[in-house]
Formats: sequence, C-alpha cells, structure tokens
Amino acid sequence: MKPDEIDKILAQAADRPLPPGTGRVAMEHVESAILDDLRPVRPLAPAWVFTVVFAALFAAISVGVASVLGMHGIRALSPHQRFLIFPALLAAAWFAAVGCAREMRPAAGSHLGALTLILSASVFTGLFSLIFHGYSTQNFVPEGVPCLVIGLGVSISAGLVIIYILRRGCVMDWSMAGLAVGVLSGLTGLGMLELDCPNLKAIHVLTWHITVLVGSGLLGYTGGWVADYFGRVES
Amino acid sequence: MKAVTTISSATYGVVIVGSEDRASSSLVLDSLMSGYQQADEEAARALIEKVSPLLLRYFWAHASHRRFADDLLQDTWMRVHKARHTYRRGEPVLPWIFAIARHVGLDNYRRARRVETRETQVDVLPETAASSSNVVRDVPDMDVILAELPASQREVIVMLKVSGMTIEEVARATASSVGSVKQKAHRAYRKLHNLLTSGVKRQ
Repeated sequence: MKPDEIDKILAQAADRPLPPGTGRVAMEHVESAILDDLRPVRPLAPAWVFTVVFAALFAAISVGVASVLGMHGIRALSPHQRFLIFPALLAAAWFAAVGCAREMRPAAGSHLGALTLILSASVFTGLFSLIFHGYSTQNFVPEGVPCLVIGLGVSISAGLVIIYILRRGCVMDWSMAGLAVGVLSGLTGLGMLELDCPNLKAIHVLTWHITVLVGSGLLGYTGGWVADYFGRVES
Repeated sequence: MKAVTTISSATYGVVIVGSEDRASSSLVLDSLMSGYQQADEEAARALIEKVSPLLLRYFWAHASHRRFADDLLQDTWMRVHKARHTYRRGEPVLPWIFAIARHVGLDNYRRARRVETRETQVDVLPETAASSSNVVRDVPDMDVILAELPASQREVIVMLKVSGMTIEEVARATASSVGSVKQKAHRAYRKLHNLLTSGVKRQ
C-alpha cells in the first residue's frame, strides 16, 4: 500500500456520513439551554496579568510572614549565598506562576507544574548542597519539625489564596492545576524559610526546607486529583 | 467550507492545505465567539450550528464515546457556556472548544470505566445485527482503522483528519507542544502504513 492511500482512507472514513438525525435533538437542547441563559460576560484578563498577580502573592506572603517571624535567615546568609538563593527562588516562582496562569483557561498551553517541581527540587537540592555545609544530625528532628510545620502552613495558606484566584477562570484538569498551585505555594513556603530560618546546616536545609517544596507539590496534586474524582462522581 | 490538513505521504512531514480557507473560517468563528460573549443570540446559534457537527464527528470517531455522542455534545456546550469568559478575542476558537470537549470525553471515559468495573453481567447477551444505517460499507470505520494506535496517537489523528485542525491547534487543544504532536502524527502514520500494508499483503 502506498502511503498516499493512508490519507485517502482516513479522509474517506472521516467523511462518512453519520447516521441520520445524530445530534439533532442534542443540538436543539443545547441551543435552547444556552439561549435561555444568555447574558454578556466580561472576558478574563490576559494570562500575564495573572502571572504577575501570582508572582506578587509569592513575594508578599513569603516576605510578609518572614517579617512577622523575624528575618533571621537572610541575616545569617552571606551576600554570596543570598545572591545565589533569591534570584533562583524568584525565577522558579515566576515559572510556577506562568504554570498556574495557564491552568485557568482551556487550550492555554502545556502543563508546567510537573516540570517546575522537578526543576526547582533539583536546582535547590544542588544549590543547597554546594553552598551549605554541616551534616551533623544533632537536634535534627527538634530543629526541623518547626520549619516543616511553619513552611507547610504558609504553603497551604498561599495555596488557598491561589486557588481562590484560579477559580475565576475555568480549570480543566484539577490534578495538574493542583500540582502547579502546590509548587508555587511550596516555593512561597521555601522562600519564607530562607528569609526566616537561621539554621544553615546542609542536612537541615536539604531535608526540611526541600520537603516543604516537594510535599506542597504532592499535596496540591493529591488535592486536585480528589477534586477531579469527586467532581466526576457528582456529575 | 472544510479546512483540510494533510500529512505528506512521502515524508510523513506536515503540510497544511487550504490555509486561506482556514484563516477566514477562523475569523468567522472568532467573531461568532465574541458575539456569543456579548450575548448575541444569532452569533451563539450560528456558533453552535457551525461547531456541533465537528464535535459530533470527534466523539463519533472514538469507539468509547460513540454511544454517548449526543450526551457528550450537550456536556461540552454546557461547559463551553460556563467557560465562555475565558476565551480571548484573537485566539483560535477550535482548540479552545476542543480542549473542553477532550476533557468532557476523558471524564466520561473514566466515569464509564468506573461503572463498568462495578457491573456484573448476569447473562450472555445475544449477538445483535449490525445497524442498518445508510453509512457506506466499503470504507472501514475510523475507529477500526485507528484501533491499533495508542490513545494519544489516535486522538491526534482524529483531531487532524476528522476535525480539520492544524498541528498548532491540536497542540493547544491537547496541552502539548507542536513537536510532540508532530511526533505522534508521524508515528501514527508509520504504524498505519505498516498495518495497512500488511493487511493488503494478507488479502
């Protein structure tokens, strides 16, 4: 068979008439339902507006909470460490904000949540291993648990605010949207910890701070999956 | 006026045919969609009448969606209606609607699968005769042709060949990259070529 014939067969199959009357009643129902409920709507703001809003939320929440708890972390960091950590956090947060804005409308582009989570978890693990030292496990859990609790608390609060904004759009896939929201709010928690936490031991930062980012991403994905599942059950 | 996208048979590369038709068709849909957002009844009615046959063909081309095609069409329009504020003027309308249709189809598939796993068949059903519709019988069904393809490749071929969308539009509708869509189309064509060639040899 010549390859030309594949096109021909597919075109013929696609052009086959549907059984008479297919969809006629459904179209009439659709028309009457839509026309009965027709009222003007204001188009959603462009995606870049929401990207800026999400990035601003990241900055406001992480700086706001850290200033309440105390900016001990940023004071403990050397200028060199600050120069490496905060631009990387801003870049990752911007990328995650683009991912969240994309989830707000259909056909807005590919999902970025998973990619952002993998990239930011890898970059921050590499970065923290390079710039921090100290692998002593003395007081490992007592020092780590408060960071994890506060970090996840900030992440969850930030996530709820982001979801509130996200609902202004039309989310198609809540699992993917949840992952994108989880990553951005996890970065918010991580940013707050870098500003607040003065513990610069590599093992502490690599374990407890990175767990906030990854845990928040996974929590977001799970929450989105549950929302999708129950959404289907209800419908 | 049906815009046609073909995949070059010689190279399996992508060639867009009828791009002027497509551009004017896209402009018409764009203005209808904008009218719909502004509560223009005529625009809404025209949009439904123009796009519904494409959606029906899309659902009809998937064996798992076929018996629910009418319900899926209604569900899709209800979601389009709820989401109409998220459309932005100047963006292509078809990928936006097909992205919604795709999710409606996926939701339906998952729901149906969940129901099927809980169902117990109490008796063997008798074989039923083929439907006596006036469809042409010498051309195989789209789903018969595409049955051997993985779902992701099948979806791309259906959107390209049945819905007449461009590669870029399919990429938008499926939330993937243009490169990924091209690769899926290329692989699907290679597989179809092998399948159909071996089928001809056996005959």
